[in-house]
Amino acid sequence: MKRWTWFFITLIGVAISLAGLLLGAWWLTFVAGLVLGAFIGRGRVAIPAGALAGLVAWGVGLAVLQVHFGLGPTASSLAAIMGFTNQDAIPLVLTCLVGLLLGLTGAWLASATRNLAFTSIDHAQTGER
Amino acid sequence: MTLDPAIGAPAKSDHPKAPDIPVSTRRAPRRGRPLPVINALLALLVSAAVLYASFAGVGPLPALGPAFNPATGAWTMAADAAPVQSQTLTIPGLQQPVRVMFEKDGTAHVVAQTDADLFLAVGYVHARFRLFQMDLMRRQGEGLLSQVVGKAALDSDRFELQLGLLRTAQMEWSQADEITKIALTAYAKGVNDRIDEAKKTHQLDAMFTLLGYQPQPWTPIDTLIVKGDMTQTLNFTDTPLVMELLDKSLGPDLTAAWFPVLPPNPQSPYDPGPYAIQATPAPITVESSVTDSQAATALALYNRLANLPPGLIATGGDSNNWAVAGAKSTSGGALMAGDPHLHLTLPSIWFQLTEDSPDYHTSGVSIPGTPVVLIGHNQHISWSLTDAQNQQTFFYEEHEDSAHPGQYFWKGAWHNYTSVSYDIPVLNGPTDHLTVKLSTHGPVISERGLTTSVWWAGNIPSQDFSVLMRIGQASDFQGFREALRDWHSPTHNFVYADDAGNIGMISAGYYPLVAQGQPWLPMPGTGEYDVTGTVPYDDIPQVYDPPDNIVLSANQRQVGPTYPYYIGTASNFFDPGYRANEIERVLSQPGKLSAADMMALQTDTRDFLASEIVPILVQALAGDQLTTSEQQARDLLASWDFRMETGSAAASIWSTFWDAYLSQTFDPWWKAKKVTVDRHELDGALGQDLEAWTLAGTTPCQPPDGCQAPCPAGMPCPPKPAQPISSVLAQAFHTAFSTLSTKLGGDPGSWTWGKLHTRELENLAQVSGLNYGPRPDRGDANTPLAAGDSPSTHGPSWRMVVDWGTKTFSGIYPGGQSENPASTWYENKVDAWWSGLYAPMLSADEASFAPGVATWSMQP
Repeated sequence: MKRWTWFFITLIGVAISLAGLLLGAWWLTFVAGLVLGAFIGRGRVAIPAGALAGLVAWGVGLAVLQVHFGLGPTASSLAAIMGFTNQDAIPLVLTCLVGLLLGLTGAWLASATRNLAFTSIDHAQTGER
Repeated sequence: MTLDPAIGAPAKSDHPKAPDIPVSTRRAPRRGRPLPVINALLALLVSAAVLYASFAGVGPLPALGPAFNPATGAWTMAADAAPVQSQTLTIPGLQQPVRVMFEKDGTAHVVAQTDADLFLAVGYVHARFRLFQMDLMRRQGEGLLSQVVGKAALDSDRFELQLGLLRTAQMEWSQADEITKIALTAYAKGVNDRIDEAKKTHQLDAMFTLLGYQPQPWTPIDTLIVKGDMTQTLNFTDTPLVMELLDKSLGPDLTAAWFPVLPPNPQSPYDPGPYAIQATPAPITVESSVTDSQAATALALYNRLANLPPGLIATGGDSNNWAVAGAKSTSGGALMAGDPHLHLTLPSIWFQLTEDSPDYHTSGVSIPGTPVVLIGHNQHISWSLTDAQNQQTFFYEEHEDSAHPGQYFWKGAWHNYTSVSYDIPVLNGPTDHLTVKLSTHGPVISERGLTTSVWWAGNIPSQDFSVLMRIGQASDFQGFREALRDWHSPTHNFVYADDAGNIGMISAGYYPLVAQGQPWLPMPGTGEYDVTGTVPYDDIPQVYDPPDNIVLSANQRQVGPTYPYYIGTASNFFDPGYRANEIERVLSQPGKLSAADMMALQTDTRDFLASEIVPILVQALAGDQLTTSEQQARDLLASWDFRMETGSAAASIWSTFWDAYLSQTFDPWWKAKKVTVDRHELDGALGQDLEAWTLAGTTPCQPPDGCQAPCPAGMPCPPKPAQPISSVLAQAFHTAFSTLSTKLGGDPGSWTWGKLHTRELENLAQVSGLNYGPRPDRGDANTPLAAGDSPSTHGPSWRMVVDWGTKTFSGIYPGGQSENPASTWYENKVDAWWSGLYAPMLSADEASFAPGVATWSMQP
């Protein structure tokens, strides 16, 4: 599969994830990761792609808020609510981390499952022969 | 075999083409190895963990997915915090268009063409800015906090359902008059319009998201619950339990002497008499002693109530209001000032607005969750409230017998308890089942030891919203007074001033009368000691246009010693009276007063008690051996103006001295008599005694050593060893000096009050990082600018000054209109409030021309 294909699939993952965020279906980031893992297959490509898709989607969400409203007071408030007064970066990092992990684990799970499935088929066919 | 296109296919890339190797050969090394299985299992496990944390949360963290979704999660508070813009809104249920204007500071002006539309729009506006606060308040009263915060709130929920706010609210709704039903129904509709809108647009307050729940629709019952919360926090007391514990430990004579019905110190009742009914209150009579089982029961219940969250038990009021007649004002019109002192929270308990409709033209502050202006003015009259503090809570020990299970003995016969069952949902826990037993006196709130029920005036339906709406429509004292006739609870001192120069005060509410017995103690529930009625409305404390042209209340006992009814004891029900005395001192001075004088008095820090005691102390120290530093401290006191300013070292010396004096006098008694009530809880009452003794030159008595021998009954008892009062005062001074030297260093000049005394505004959701302060601040518990404790978390929650001569209205509260901590309206009024500044209370017409106004055009 060519790199541009991976890039294109990753973009689709970002789009799925973003749409999910807008609809309140944040878990679509994980689904996007699954899609990436299923299509790309190769773990060392699929997993970073999934992570990137999640990170970008959730990061873009934050960026849009920053452009329109500014995130400073909100980050500060969320940090305080979480018990991290004056550590405003924590909710930002945590948000990006959630997106990244959802995409990453989705892609990893799909990739590993696919790998396992094909290996099993491979084993079965080898055994038949 | 099938070629795995992803894994097995040769990479089509720019790399040099690899030699064609049979797939089976390339895969050979992996055959028989468990790597893919392990990889898949690991992926599954990690995915499950991430998804679990995202869906359900981990430890203290909320469900991470919905909480941190940038588009619909807690981050939406950024959009919610954006400045309000002019826009058109479609609000279902409106009959006519409504206009809502917001001043730059967030003050709202609601202009409607029908009364129902007015209340609907107010509901929408409240919910737009305070929905989480409203939800918390109704959950507290309805016993539903555990549902969203878990078992930590279960004690509170169980207690609230036992006490019965929900049952009372349901009764009030069933008995509500037409105007109340219209208002509360419209208000609920407005709140629900906003809830629906916020759900659709993912704009619910972030706290909902973080706690993982959505608000249920608002109902009129919820509004009545919010009123019930306020009633409870203002007048549900544990004082009879405290008195019983004191009676048991100190003995009835000493308790009667130290905690009398009438105040031992000089006070300033606003309605000193003479009274229509000429009688005098019966003196305290000593009946049978408190038994061990009674004391154990009281202690168990006292401890239970003490462990409830703050705000569920009234702990004494701290509010001021007064009025000056036109004849004594520089403008020629009546002046009025009000500053109710409450728990200072962010968001504030108040939401400032004006309400304009065909029948209402009111301006002031409302409580989110309720549709009306509680403190404010209309076109002709103004009003403000302080807590009246009379006894509204009575405890009854029910007589039970093992031969009559499930019954209690009352008026010569056995009666079945009625019962009500509740299910309390608990977050992450099993549902709690609660059965509340009810006797004729009220709900049973303790069955540890003697079964104890409580008669609480707050459980009697009181159509307060109907009263407030009629006050809002009143144009003179007669209309005001007639409206208050139906106000039952919580009892409040309603100050009044009007555009014709008249002033007045009515302490409206129920003053329960007990057939016999000692109502300040838990009483037998057998019928002879029941509440039999209430003081007639014409006999409750009230004045209209008094001859001295002033009227004032500051939670002091409103009436003089000849008032013919028992309304509560001096201690722990009524305030010691220092704020009232100081306010009266200022208002009574010759000359006329202005609105600026009212503002200065609201923020005055002169401690009346200090002004009485410090000169005596300084005189006592004249003959004492003092070090140079002690002389310096004494000189600071001698030249002090009695103001508790942050830069005043004398203020620190005075405050520390008074604490030491109290401790020196009463702690030996507490120790000797093994008193189970925290002495500090009674400092106000004990301070009254100490003040009276000191002014009279009487040496406070000391208990006999270890109380091995029986203590002499009552006061005074012989001091051991006998000391002149000057020595006792000097000893307390030396103790205070030592304490301050240790804490603040050896230079008395540096012992400024601001180093000892701070104030803090607490976040309502108890998120300490969203508090304001603590910052050094002025005042103490005795000053008009009330600021007891440190950090002080109670104080003037709203300051309003009215000058009817110039028709100027000013007000400010410490907080902001929005509960969103990211909003500029979260705490934008705090600094001005802290500095003693006021904002003009504009009418809707005036506001429409104010700079920076944003307008919502609400369409049906």
